[in-house]
Parts: sequence; structure tokens; C-alpha cells
Amino acid sequence: MKITTQTKGNDIFVQVEGRIDTTNSIDFENTVSQALTNEVKQIYLDCSELNYISSSGLRVLLTFLKKMMAAGGTLKLYSLQPAIKEIFDISGFSTIFPIYPDLVAAQEN
Amino acid sequence: MGSSQKYKRLDIRNDIQELNRVVPFLDQLQEEWDLPVSVIPAINLALEEALSNIIFYGIDPGIEEEISIEFKAEGNCLNIILSDTGKAFDPTQNMEPDLDLPAEVRPIGGLGIFLIRKMMDEVSYERINGTNRLVMVKHWDNNK
Repeated sequence: MKITTQTKGNDIFVQVEGRIDTTNSIDFENTVSQALTNEVKQIYLDCSELNYISSSGLRVLLTFLKKMMAAGGTLKLYSLQPAIKEIFDISGFSTIFPIYPDLVAAQEN
Repeated sequence: MGSSQKYKRLDIRNDIQELNRVVPFLDQLQEEWDLPVSVIPAINLALEEALSNIIFYGIDPGIEEEISIEFKAEGNCLNIILSDTGKAFDPTQNMEPDLDLPAEVRPIGGLGIFLIRKMMDEVSYERINGTNRLVMVKHWDNNK
């Protein structure tokens, strides 16, 4: 897994490559947490290079979504691969996460 | 694929980093047995969820145990048998999560076993002489 984070104003842009699974979900959580400040309102997560996620990864994403919503913001996901979208659909996460086809759509909505 | 049964086994320790051995093993199995590439992610996910449950909850930390993962393929069907001597736990009896809850009240956990059942076609459990035995079955069509 490779994670990059970039902060612009009140937004954080996160890109994740590879897998978020039981062995590394804590690394993902720590890296994103370090980028989070009280000023951050939106997290944009680029999922185009995410090719595997298990329940431990879903758990971390839900934790961040709850945190952002409590702060009056949200966590937006975009460019999900079909196999990842399927996991989101199966687990009911597609209805609780704002999911967009690309970054432009995520920023416009 | 012929009708003869194929068999392979991987033993791992109850250490979560051991899951990193499962992924390449599955990839190798896919190549050697010519399994459809499309079924591997589902099998990978079901295996990770089942194994992490055993490692986190079935076996007390500090105790070293082996978990056996057996793969049996015949025709268009793969059976995966997990055996461990941890606490008795029947994942087939687990409650379904409420998938309609909004984010604010959605519980953080409870998805792993649900995903196993969704990814596999059959899941069965038995406890024999102090051993948990979880059997997960995946079928596929001929036109992979």
C-alpha cells in the first residue's frame, strides 16, 4: 500500500494505491490522522489505484466518515474500481458514503 | 480442468502478518490449477476475514498456534477448509448487520463474517475434538 496526502486549505486529498487490509489498515489510519487538523472539513479519497479492501479497511473509512461528519464535513470517495464498488454495495457502504466518478464531480457536489 | 481432485495446504501462525503469505499462495494456486482469475478476489477476502477472526478473537495473544488452510479443487468448485484449535466459534451463527443504518449510528465492526457469506457460495462450521473446522465453498461457471 502506498498513501499520499496533500492539504489545500480546508481540504485533504488522499491517494491510496494497492490494498487496505488487516495487515496495514492501521498505517492508513495513522497517515490520514496525521494530516487531519481541526480546520479540515473535507477528505477527498482517490480510489483509482485501490484494488482490494477488507472489512478492516471499511472500518477505518467509516471511522473517518463519522469524524468528518461530526466536524461538519465529509469524506468523499471517487474513481472506485468496479470490484471495490461491489464491496461497498454489498456492505451497504454505498448509501452512507458520498461516491463520485471523478475528482471534478466530487468537488462540484 | 479434469475431474481429478487437487489438493494443497498452507499452515500459518496466529500472527496477523502471516496473512501476507496467503495472497501470493492464492496467486500461485490460481496459476497452477488454472482457476478463474475472477474468483480470486472473493476468495482472498473471505480468507482474510475468516483468518483475522481466528487470529484476533479465537486464540489468546501470547499463545502460539498453527492455523491450517486446505484447498481442494474438483471441477468448477474450490473447497477451503480452515482448522484451528482456538476457542469454539461458529461464524455461520453470526447476526446479519443492519445495512440500512445511516453513518452516524452504523456500528464500526461486524462486517467481516457477513462478507465471508457474501463472497462464498457455501459456508459451514463444525467443532470436532477441540478443533474449529470452517469449510468455505466457491463455485464458478465453465465460461470463466
